[in-house]
Amino acid sequence: MVSRVTTSLLYRELVTRVGRLQTRLAAANDEVSSQRRLREASNDPSGAALAARLQGEKADVGAVRSALGFATQVVARQDLALDQSDRILARAREIATLTANGTATVESRQQAAVEVAELERGLLAQANTELSGRYVFAGLTSGAAPFASLDDSGFDPLNPYSGPATPFLVRSGPDQTVAITTPGDQVFEPAIAAIDGLRVALAAGQAPTASIDELDDAATVLRAERTIVGGRARRLSERDGDLNAVELNLEKRLGTVQGADLTESISRLVQLQTALQATLEAGRTLQASLLDSIQL
Amino acid sequence: MSIFTPLSIARSALVAQQRALSVTGANIANVNTPGYTRQRAVLSPVGEGEAGGVRVSTIERVVDRLLDARELRSASALGSAGVERDFADRVQALFPVDGSNIGTALDDFFSAASELSTHPEEVAVRSDLLARADALATRIRSTAQGLADLQRDADGRIVDSARDVNPILAQIARLNRSIPAADPSSGANELADQRRQAIAELATRLDVRVVERPNGTADVFAASGAALVLGDQAAELAAEPTSDLGLDGSALHALGVRDAGGGVIPLAGPLGGELGALQELRDTTLPDDAGALDAFATTLRDAVNGVQTAASGRDLDGLVGQPLFSGTGAADLAVALADPRGIAAALSATPGDNANALALVALRTTEFPSLSGARLGDFHGDLLAQVGGRARDAADRLTVAENLAASLSAQRESVSGVSLEEEFTDLIRFQHGFQAAGQLVAVSNRLLDDLMGLVR
Repeated sequence: MVSRVTTSLLYRELVTRVGRLQTRLAAANDEVSSQRRLREASNDPSGAALAARLQGEKADVGAVRSALGFATQVVARQDLALDQSDRILARAREIATLTANGTATVESRQQAAVEVAELERGLLAQANTELSGRYVFAGLTSGAAPFASLDDSGFDPLNPYSGPATPFLVRSGPDQTVAITTPGDQVFEPAIAAIDGLRVALAAGQAPTASIDELDDAATVLRAERTIVGGRARRLSERDGDLNAVELNLEKRLGTVQGADLTESISRLVQLQTALQATLEAGRTLQASLLDSIQL
Repeated sequence: MSIFTPLSIARSALVAQQRALSVTGANIANVNTPGYTRQRAVLSPVGEGEAGGVRVSTIERVVDRLLDARELRSASALGSAGVERDFADRVQALFPVDGSNIGTALDDFFSAASELSTHPEEVAVRSDLLARADALATRIRSTAQGLADLQRDADGRIVDSARDVNPILAQIARLNRSIPAADPSSGANELADQRRQAIAELATRLDVRVVERPNGTADVFAASGAALVLGDQAAELAAEPTSDLGLDGSALHALGVRDAGGGVIPLAGPLGGELGALQELRDTTLPDDAGALDAFATTLRDAVNGVQTAASGRDLDGLVGQPLFSGTGAADLAVALADPRGIAAALSATPGDNANALALVALRTTEFPSLSGARLGDFHGDLLAQVGGRARDAADRLTVAENLAASLSAQRESVSGVSLEEEFTDLIRFQHGFQAAGQLVAVSNRLLDDLMGLVR
């Protein structure tokens, strides 16, 4: 507190006060217009570090959800292919049952063999099911088909698979992965062997009695895989739901760290505007002087 | 007592009141002059006994020397805080909290790596990963370049300051020469004000200690004790290139006093003021920030290249991967891989294998000893907090320094500043004194007339 007030002191203090109010007003204005409390790291240094961490986590959750979205498409494609394959095996079993009894002739069996060959081609096509050029029963590889064609000269029904023996993993969390494919040989080889055995027996005009059990066993394997695929689809959906909740929570926390409380910000802005107006009004009184009151 | 004595007294009063009026006039005229110290005419009686007059014994500057010294120190602190705040804000601008900062670029890079793990054979996804890696390297490089530019700016300002300080030192020495020869009526007070202003300006550049001599001269010393002005002799500051290299690889400068032989004796210890702050920023703060950024860049480079060049890592053509990043640090970090097929996403020759891409994504959550156990993203976050904290501290220090300087300035102004109300009052006082002295002349004149009438 000064004891003697001089003319320039009055003006200087007025200018200083107005300058400070204007600086604070500009900051408050910026906060309201951007709706962000955290506009630079110095607004809240620890908040800036937290926001960077939350942004990183949010970006990663987005990347994981994108991977899960792709995995869901793969699993849906697998389910469809397994369903089709199951239908093919069911039709093959019908043919096997019809041609196994004594009323079937050699000719009728050989005619049935033609249909079974088509069914076998259909089964191999399902085993080679693609999603965007990638084989869903061969570790999502691309390029050469993992299952050989029936028309290939060296087709071996007991060993038709040439794809990878490892499953394809996708990210299901920051440090987690989940397998979304099963190597095709484990799924389709019993079915291909059974249907090929049926075709060969019928083509030879023989009763395919052994094929019925083989087809039943192969259908069991396919249905087991379909159960696994269904379980995968459910887990992927649940995981995506969990991550959706995590993402929402991260957004909420980011909003708390970065966002401005508009009610508080606008109140402060109005307060500062009022203070500035009052200070400028008070400055008018500086125009009064002893000179106005005396006659020299 | 002679009949002429009242006339003589009146004459001395007229002269004294006139001189006091002129001092008041000078105060009023300089009401808005920065650094002006109000003056006061000190009246004292002339002669002894009852027959004296009045005279202006001196025209004094109304100053508080203790306040003056404190104000000089606060000017130095204010200069230092101003530079720290300026640079802290500029460093902070290199580490934005939103938009395209290093953290966002890092997140984008790992998101692209995650996408690669889902689509390891897609060339478009691989190209996107390379583009994200390039964006990340560019951001790190531009931040490192920004820090190097700031360091060069600090060094340039040290060189400029040396050039700017020399005329001030010369001016103080020149005023030291003039002040002892002048008397208050011939402008000695105004010269003292000019010298005080020059010293205050010098104090914002570096800490100074002022020793006033009985003959009116003032010697000025740096905080280290080096003499800057001794009487009418001014030292010459010079900034010479040293063997120390800056972040940009060019030589930095050392500030010193030029000796008689033309050599430069470095100013030892902390300089204080703007120069001290610039020196601290240039030699410690900015290199520390650049060091942290270097640690981040080299850790990223080594980690990514380690995954990319793993012995069992295979690119799209089944070949062992080549390094993705090149460079020796943050300043020259770049993407070395041009062909997206060269990214080793697999750990086997099997097409579609994504195992190495998953290993690349896993770097996001890896804790690195080279970053004191922090993850890459967290290290960047900590760097943001450090830079932000420094900017906030610098802003707080500047506010404190401004408040202290304003308070001292107000106190000094309270003692030495011009109050128009006071001056107007003095004007009336001296005007009335002058009028009264005029009346005394008139009365003396009438007495003389009456006396002469008796003779006639």
